[in-house]
Amino acid sequence: MLRTRVIPCLQLIDESLVKTVKFGKHSYIGDPINTVRIFNELEVDELCFLDIRATVEKRPPNFKILHEIADECFMPLSYGGGVRDAATAKKILSIGFEKILLNTVIFETPSLVTEIANYSGNQSIIGSIDVKKNLFGKYQVYSHDGTKKQEVDPVKWAMQLESLGVGELLITSMDKDGTWSGFDVELIKKISNAVTVPVIANGGAGSIHHIEEAVKQGNASAVCLGSMVVYQQKEMGVLVNFPDRDNLQSTLIHEKN
Amino acid sequence: MSDKVSETYRICTRCIYDTKVPKIAFDENGVCNYCKMIDDLKSQYHTGTPAGEEKFAEIVEQIRKDGKGKKYDCVVGVSGGTDSSYMIVKAVEWGLRPLAVHYDNTWNTAIATENIRKILGKLKVDLYTHVVDNKESDDIFRSFFLANVPEIDGPTDIALAETMYRAAAKYKVKYVLEGHSFIAEGVSPLSTAYVDGGYIRNIHEKFGKIRMKTFPNMTFAAFMKWILFFRIKKIRPLWYINYSKQEAKVMLMKDYGWQDYGGHHLENRMTAFNHSIYFPQKFKIDQRNNTLSAVVRAGLKTREAAIEEYKTPPHIEPELVEYFKKRLGFSDEEYTAIMNGPRKNFRDYKTYKKRFERLRPLFFLLAKANLVPMSFYIKYTSKSEI
Amino acid sequence: MIIIVDYGMGNLGSVANMFKKVGAQAKVSSDLEEINKASKILLPGVGAFDTAMNRINDAGMNEVLNYKALKEKVPVLGICLGMQLLTAGSEEGVLPGLGWINAKTYNFSGRINNELKIPHMGWNIAEIEQNTAITKRYQGEIRFYFVHSYFVQVDDESNSMMKTNYGLTFDSAIVKDNIFGAQFHPEKSHKFGMTLFENFAKI
Repeated sequence: MLRTRVIPCLQLIDESLVKTVKFGKHSYIGDPINTVRIFNELEVDELCFLDIRATVEKRPPNFKILHEIADECFMPLSYGGGVRDAATAKKILSIGFEKILLNTVIFETPSLVTEIANYSGNQSIIGSIDVKKNLFGKYQVYSHDGTKKQEVDPVKWAMQLESLGVGELLITSMDKDGTWSGFDVELIKKISNAVTVPVIANGGAGSIHHIEEAVKQGNASAVCLGSMVVYQQKEMGVLVNFPDRDNLQSTLIHEKN
Repeated sequence: MSDKVSETYRICTRCIYDTKVPKIAFDENGVCNYCKMIDDLKSQYHTGTPAGEEKFAEIVEQIRKDGKGKKYDCVVGVSGGTDSSYMIVKAVEWGLRPLAVHYDNTWNTAIATENIRKILGKLKVDLYTHVVDNKESDDIFRSFFLANVPEIDGPTDIALAETMYRAAAKYKVKYVLEGHSFIAEGVSPLSTAYVDGGYIRNIHEKFGKIRMKTFPNMTFAAFMKWILFFRIKKIRPLWYINYSKQEAKVMLMKDYGWQDYGGHHLENRMTAFNHSIYFPQKFKIDQRNNTLSAVVRAGLKTREAAIEEYKTPPHIEPELVEYFKKRLGFSDEEYTAIMNGPRKNFRDYKTYKKRFERLRPLFFLLAKANLVPMSFYIKYTSKSEI
Repeated sequence: MIIIVDYGMGNLGSVANMFKKVGAQAKVSSDLEEINKASKILLPGVGAFDTAMNRINDAGMNEVLNYKALKEKVPVLGICLGMQLLTAGSEEGVLPGLGWINAKTYNFSGRINNELKIPHMGWNIAEIEQNTAITKRYQGEIRFYFVHSYFVQVDDESNSMMKTNYGLTFDSAIVKDNIFGAQFHPEKSHKFGMTLFENFAKI
């Protein structure tokens, strides 16, 4: 029996933790290391860190902070943001992270996926896809922290990443990001049905009910939580937290065996 | 009352403050001036008597009236600790509609955030938080450490006070409730517990490197603005009514799943460092005598038992020193140098103290009107500096 | 001194970190002399079976490891791929493993329900089959973080320490005298992993 993974997804700008809304305005959340300590104490299953401006600001990941994070954490960690070559990926994995997220770089250098997979295995790579609906409700893929539109259909792109060898896919709805209104279940379902690798839903979680929807209707294998784990409630103050284990447990056990 | 160290070592015959406590003096019965201050406050506020309860009931009524038509009628600062958690539970019980306010100095422990979450969740109370940029927060802590003064946690207190005022002003609320209890906590000597916005600014100017942008400092002007222009009042319910910290903890644990963290203020790592390491090791002061004296005065422990307990060393969280050094960027040598360095206090820096003293008559009126706490008037505006 | 064997594969930093956290003296090393002097050995591993065996053999580590485990009988703990190396061999490769425990490593693919993704990745429950020095102080439900595409099954039930279910039941921890294996990642399983490491350090 495997419980669906529920992963706090923390956004970094520089050395600070922030939270964005719809990939736009962001608010300051706090010190990343202290927040990690709290999640450690809360015994969450896994953590994901995204340095959301690294690529557009053309800078490498902040290894100092990553070291400190890895030193504090005794659970699986994944990192994304500004990973442009295999050397950087290897360095991050050796610091103590289990997985790397790749997004923008795959459009430019698809072979990077294979290169990293050969070194550390497919399960160490998460293909990250940011998706936004256009005026007519059609899904479009974006890169560069949601600033550059790519001319490829999300489902096709997901299948492409799978064939390149990613171990999982992180699908982020830019429209839902930071809104507490639920995941884009339709988007998640479309992609889950088209690939065999696990799909992680991201963007929009506001309650355990939303998590349930993403898993049971969207067929997500895992979900990321953003605003839910750093704010007390929608539009209220910062408070690092994690949904109650028992509630998650009863909602999310896989029954397939 | 002189500044000279007493020739012989004495302990108050009533509590356990001794001649190591700054500015202590004893009357003909050997009872210290701090005990006297508490007695004065107690009779002024009729603490724990029907008169006190009645006075408080009037205040609650007034808060409710003034809050009509507004989203919240009062603001309550929360830290995850016993006093503030108890305060918010009672506020709801008294029929008030509080807004909980938290100042996050980025050194919180999970126990603190979990306690806040559980209590506010069950009571369905909204939370307003101000999070300071962690680099700024650390720069200010660093400055205080480099300044060799005891009040390393002082900035947090001022920041919380300022944050509560800002939250109150935002929602047009006129009352801030604080869970301070002189009965349960005693009174800290000013020499080791002085804090104001000018003090913070001066120390930061001297030792800080990062500009203060997100840190909510309370300048004198801001202070005056909140109390004279916005006329926001500070109410301390536990000065009027009975309060037992032990009973409060039991209730919180039972009804809210609140977790005790074993000691006054240990829900935040900076406070923990301050109380268990910084004060005892650098200033040779163990602040547990505050609470222990209070407990003795309240008759909950014998003076002898308290003195015995006081002799045992305080609990120290392992790795706390390492965390402190690493996070604030001090090498082992730098850290040891400061810990063994000179002991300074607020008199060595520029503060608002003289200004407070000059405005003593004004602050008397403000204290009577609950616009500043009476303990502020007594300690900060008096030249005797108790 | 616990020596964490460095043959170039595995998340050694995290393992070392966790030993430090539980207060045990541990050191990462590829030096044959140091391994020879070890009081206990931790065999990590992430990646492919054959690649690992090749590196161990090429570095000459297999001899000293065999000596320490089978002759001197110091406590040895193999984790993740490290546990698979303790078996006779794996369907992932062609080379024999260290063969210290009578067990084999098999492929999940083709043996489990199509709907279950491979690798087995995430937190799963382990049932203790047999109490040993490293299962002390475990109470109630215990879970660990797993990431693997191949699983181990012992030939003889007396070597099974813990079992886990993922499409089928496999041995998530194995034991033979002084030799222990854990398929999951204790260094990534916070309090559950810490208990295991602490127990191992205290042997």
